[in-house]
Amino acid sequence: MADINIDQIENRADITDVVCPVTFVKAKVALEELEPGELIAIHMNDGEPVQNVPRSIKEEGHQILKLIDNEDGTYDLIVRRGEDDA
Amino acid sequence: MAFTNDQLERYSRHIILKEIGVKGQKRLLNGSVLIVGAGGLGSPVAAYLAAAGVGKIGIVDADNVDLSNLQRQIIHTTDDVGKPKVVSAAETMRAINPDVEVKTYHEYLYSGNVMDIVKDYDFVIDGTDNFPAKFLINDACVLTKTAFCHAGVIRFQGQLMTYVPGEGPCYRCVFKDPPPKGAVPTCREAGVIGAMVGVIGSLQAMEAVKYLTGAGELLTGSLLTYDALTNQFRKIKLPKDPDCAVCSDHPTITEPIDYEQAACDFDPKNPLSE
Amino acid sequence: MKITVSGEAATVQDGITVAKLIAERDVENPQYVTVTINDDFIHSDDFETKTLSEGDQVEFLYFMGGGR
Repeated sequence: MADINIDQIENRADITDVVCPVTFVKAKVALEELEPGELIAIHMNDGEPVQNVPRSIKEEGHQILKLIDNEDGTYDLIVRRGEDDA
Repeated sequence: MAFTNDQLERYSRHIILKEIGVKGQKRLLNGSVLIVGAGGLGSPVAAYLAAAGVGKIGIVDADNVDLSNLQRQIIHTTDDVGKPKVVSAAETMRAINPDVEVKTYHEYLYSGNVMDIVKDYDFVIDGTDNFPAKFLINDACVLTKTAFCHAGVIRFQGQLMTYVPGEGPCYRCVFKDPPPKGAVPTCREAGVIGAMVGVIGSLQAMEAVKYLTGAGELLTGSLLTYDALTNQFRKIKLPKDPDCAVCSDHPTITEPIDYEQAACDFDPKNPLSE
Repeated sequence: MKITVSGEAATVQDGITVAKLIAERDVENPQYVTVTINDDFIHSDDFETKTLSEGDQVEFLYFMGGGR
């Protein structure tokens, strides 16, 4: 599980073009469009997004698999979509 | 339908809510609500539903904005005095949220048009101030199987209930027939504080949002009453009347009825829209 | 006997009728009030004859016509 290759993940969301709280909202929208169990790579900026977005995603019931530091001020967060509540 | 970044920002506080989320916001954007009366109750409903991104909002009112309306009808401004209320309300709604399609009906509701207007909407708000109109809306909604939220206000008291076809009781289950004209005072004779219609209208807007998104419980089978002087809210259980003239299995009312208006409410140009 | 009227405990005379309770409570526009007892409607024709029992929950529902 630790060796997920980001290139194998088709679903992508880029939240570097928005600021809090839309960062989380955009990530949430992308996750809600997936089927439970699907993976997504979420591209985000250092700072507030990387501090808050993973935590909020976890609170929504999704599984954080990996956080990749791109060493250019951005990160890619790999998430497995959780089950629907309903 | 994908959200634009502007929409994500505009609706972020909805989307963050677990009970609304992406699905709920899409339902709001695809939903439609008819507001009957662009007055005290209709003002907060129109403003909140436009802001919430309800896709299509219809508003019915035959009146023009009057200076005496502005104490409570907050969708209109001083510059709007003399304009048709539906025009003034539509301008405010479009200014709040250009996503929303506003359809205006500058006419009074009566038996001849109510069915055609109501059937185009998912949910109806009764923001009227007279019993003939309240019964007309109830009957049209029951007959067209349209959900609606009734509300009434008098002085410092207000109440509301929601009818969902096939579920709860209707307004007529509880109140049978309009009282004789003039027997029970309405706002015009009785006076009202603006915030009072604001409270009840906001609760009606909440019912519309919950109906469209499916979040939580509606006031179906309950009457919520509010007493502003004692700060008391009460939720009173309402049974269904098995012999209801319109919503029972053996209805005697099968088409909308025009009841006579109280003399002091009567405006020949506009007998029912308020 | 003790009953509940509009959500509040009340002590009333044993076997009081709905009509008498309406009069005692000074209900506004009494001829147009809707009454429920234990969540069932009481037909207005029965107000004079319908008697209340210990523990009954009575609600008065009023016409409210305003909104503008």
